[in-house]
Amino acid sequence: MKKILLIITLIMSSRALADIKAATELYKQPQSLKRDRDMALELFKSKYFFSSLAFAKNYIAGSKELDPEFEAVIEKLMVKTGTMSFSYMDRKILKRHMSSPTLALAYGIRMSQLKKWDESNKALDNVPDNHKFGSEARMLQGAALNMLLKDNDAVAMYKRCIKASQTIEQDAEKEKLGRYYAIIKESCFIHLARIEYRNGNYEQAKELYRAIPKTSYRFPYILMEKAWNAYQREDYNRSLGVLVTYKSPLMTSYFFPEAEVLRALSYFRLCLWEDSMVTIENYYKRYKAQSDVLRALLLKHKKSYTYFLKMAFAPIEETEKMHPYVRNMMTQIRKKIKFSIDLVSYKKAQNELKFIQKLPTSKLRNLMEGELKETLKWRTTHLNHYIKKQMFDFVNEIHKFSYEMFNIKLEILARKRDLVWDNKQLVSDRSRGSHENLKRESDEHFYDFRGEFWADELGDYSFGLKSNCEKVRVGAAK
Amino acid sequence: MRRLMIALLFLMVTSTGAQEKNASKSANVKAPKVIYKYRQYEKFDLGSMEIKGSIVAPGDLSVKERSRRTFSRDLYDRDNFNTEVIEDIRNLR
Repeated sequence: MKKILLIITLIMSSRALADIKAATELYKQPQSLKRDRDMALELFKSKYFFSSLAFAKNYIAGSKELDPEFEAVIEKLMVKTGTMSFSYMDRKILKRHMSSPTLALAYGIRMSQLKKWDESNKALDNVPDNHKFGSEARMLQGAALNMLLKDNDAVAMYKRCIKASQTIEQDAEKEKLGRYYAIIKESCFIHLARIEYRNGNYEQAKELYRAIPKTSYRFPYILMEKAWNAYQREDYNRSLGVLVTYKSPLMTSYFFPEAEVLRALSYFRLCLWEDSMVTIENYYKRYKAQSDVLRALLLKHKKSYTYFLKMAFAPIEETEKMHPYVRNMMTQIRKKIKFSIDLVSYKKAQNELKFIQKLPTSKLRNLMEGELKETLKWRTTHLNHYIKKQMFDFVNEIHKFSYEMFNIKLEILARKRDLVWDNKQLVSDRSRGSHENLKRESDEHFYDFRGEFWADELGDYSFGLKSNCEKVRVGAAK
Repeated sequence: MRRLMIALLFLMVTSTGAQEKNASKSANVKAPKVIYKYRQYEKFDLGSMEIKGSIVAPGDLSVKERSRRTFSRDLYDRDNFNTEVIEDIRNLR
């Protein structure tokens, strides 16, 4: 077996070596736009994608228009090396090539990162629906129009996004690719629900959220939005039931501080103040203290350009030892599409560098090595920053929500004081659950929670607590 | 210089003496005799005093009942999911 592997590697490396010979010969020609274009195509054929990228960018910068053959190459290069390969190019150069769907997408992404929604929307118009990047472009445009509060246009755009991604999903030969387009489709459904939510159409939002299957990658993330939607409909029992899903063993790595605030708020609205207080106290005891430890750990390495990326490569046991949150955070970050794609590209770049370093010394080899080292340095910083930001955002979120929890606590104390002033008390000390208190539609599921979580039941739990908001004279309580 | 000073002093002394003489002359002519007399003792019999009218206030001490004004805090709420929308598009490939 080892021998076969060795032979395959030898064949592969000799093929790569042969291919680089053609590129080396080409590189000896005087520098010109045509040479850059041919070099990009030649290195692409040899699967030196990152090295090809450097020449492709030179050609894009110098040329007025891109031919279809070159367009096809940069489209594949974007898939292989990630969108950031092009989106961080000089904006003036990108803007000159708006007839290229690949570069229009890169420019649209950059503009959306800079929150220049109008410009992003205009640029993305150049990516047709049936293009490989069509569904991404429609989703980005939908988001841009959403931010510009052009709701009707945004809804139309998201519908086009759903249709485009559905078509590619069905035709996808690889399972992974199909899954990627399924995520885009579901994201567009979720964005439609968010528009309805923003406009106060909670019933419509509820229906749209229900389009997301429980097996979806997006499912754990939308549970909180579903809970908020139930909360806005004053269905606090459903809100509490949806939130209890986060306690399932399947979702241990998902922790949203906001979910705890929503839980406390839902109890508060049912006037179950003691339950609300317990939630608040638990939050302080468990999360706030741990987040302080995590913050101290992160602050120590905040200036490092590599520490957080190394953490991403470290085995789970190691991150678990550092801090339980670090492990969960890393699991969450690894699940992010952008991060996993960028990480794959990063590893590919590292492999390419290894191949280049094995090549015989030549001017081209030195150039390729230098370029790739620079690319890797930049990508290391970029990925490290991404992880660092995610972690600090999480810590800041815990602190932000601890303030919100404090506010709820103050409000409960004020309400209790008012009761004393009025010589009144709530109707019962603690309300018990009952099926009578359930709000449910004929096609909506409901499961009794009996201390066990079942995958098919997740997200369909509802509490049956009676509102305790009735006030009675002191001594008249049940 | 000394002589000048002595002359000035002499002039001032003679002019003030003349003014005093004029004032005492006019006082002797006009001043009326005013005699002020004050009551030495006055007595009020409060018991015999009477006030006429009708009582409009309640007889006993009372407080008008009204509900206490309560100020509720702005508790956390979610108006939109814009942050999540931005996060989603940043997480595209």
